[in-house]
Amino acid sequence: MVETILFYGFAALILISALLMVFAPNIYHSALFLALSLFGVAGIYVVLNSYFLAGIQVLVYIGAVVVLSLFVINLTRRIIEADSDQHNEQLLPAVIISALTAFLIISAALKTNWGTMIAHRVAQDNTALTGRLLLNEFVVPFEVVSVLLLAALIGAIAIVAGDKKGAAK
Amino acid sequence: MTITLVHYVVLSALLFSIGMIGVLTRRNAIGILMSLELLFNAATINMVAFAKYVTPQEITGDIFTIFIIAIAAAESVLGLAIILALFRKRETINADEMNIMKY
Repeated sequence: MVETILFYGFAALILISALLMVFAPNIYHSALFLALSLFGVAGIYVVLNSYFLAGIQVLVYIGAVVVLSLFVINLTRRIIEADSDQHNEQLLPAVIISALTAFLIISAALKTNWGTMIAHRVAQDNTALTGRLLLNEFVVPFEVVSVLLLAALIGAIAIVAGDKKGAAK
Repeated sequence: MTITLVHYVVLSALLFSIGMIGVLTRRNAIGILMSLELLFNAATINMVAFAKYVTPQEITGDIFTIFIIAIAAAESVLGLAIILALFRKRETINADEMNIMKY
C-alpha cells in the first residue's frame, strides 16, 4: 500500500516536472525542473529498494550535471535573453511522433504475456551485492569507465581552453 | 492494488516520450542536452525495474545503471564543452543556427 502511494507520487512528480521542463519558456527554469524530475527518479529507485542508486542519482545528476548545465546557461545567458523564443516550429509533429511512440511501447507492454515474472519482487537492499559485483565480475568495465571519464575530463578542458592565444587571455 | 513491472514500463515510456518532445522542439542546444538526460533516465528506470522483478538475485540492471549514469555524465560534460566552444566562435547556441557544416 505504501509502495503504491509512493510510486504514484513519484511518477506524478517525474512526469509533471518533465513536462514543465520541456515546455518552460525560460531555459533557467527548465534546468531547475529537470533537477526536480531527476529527484523523482531517485525516489523511484528508493521505491525499488536501490538505495545506492538513489544516492548516486542525487549526487551525479542533481549535484553535477544540472549544476554544470546551470553554469553553461549563465555563461551563455546574454544570447538567450536576446531572443526569447526557446522552441522551434516543429512542436506539432514532435508531439504526434512522441505520442505515437508512447502508444506503441505502452500497448506492446500491455499485450505482452509476462507470465509470473511481474507478480512480485524481492524487497531487499542490494548495496553490498552491488559493491561486490563491481569489484569482481564487472571490474573490467568499471576500470574502462574510469578511463572514459578521464578522457572526457581532458577532452572537455582541451575543447574549452582552445588555442594558446585564447587561453592566454 | 500492487505495483507491477508494467507500471514501471509505462512510466518510462511516458518519460521517454516527453524527453523526445524536448529533443525535437528545443532550439537551445543546452535544452536538447537536458532533454537527453530525461531519455537516459527513462532507460535506467526500465533497467532497475527489470532487474528487481525478473532477476532479483543477480542485479545486473543496477550495475548497468551505474555505468549509464557515468557515461551520461561524460557525455553531458563533453556536450556542454562543445556548446561553450561553439558559443565563443558563433555567438549563438541555437541548434537551428548551427549551419557551419553546410558546404
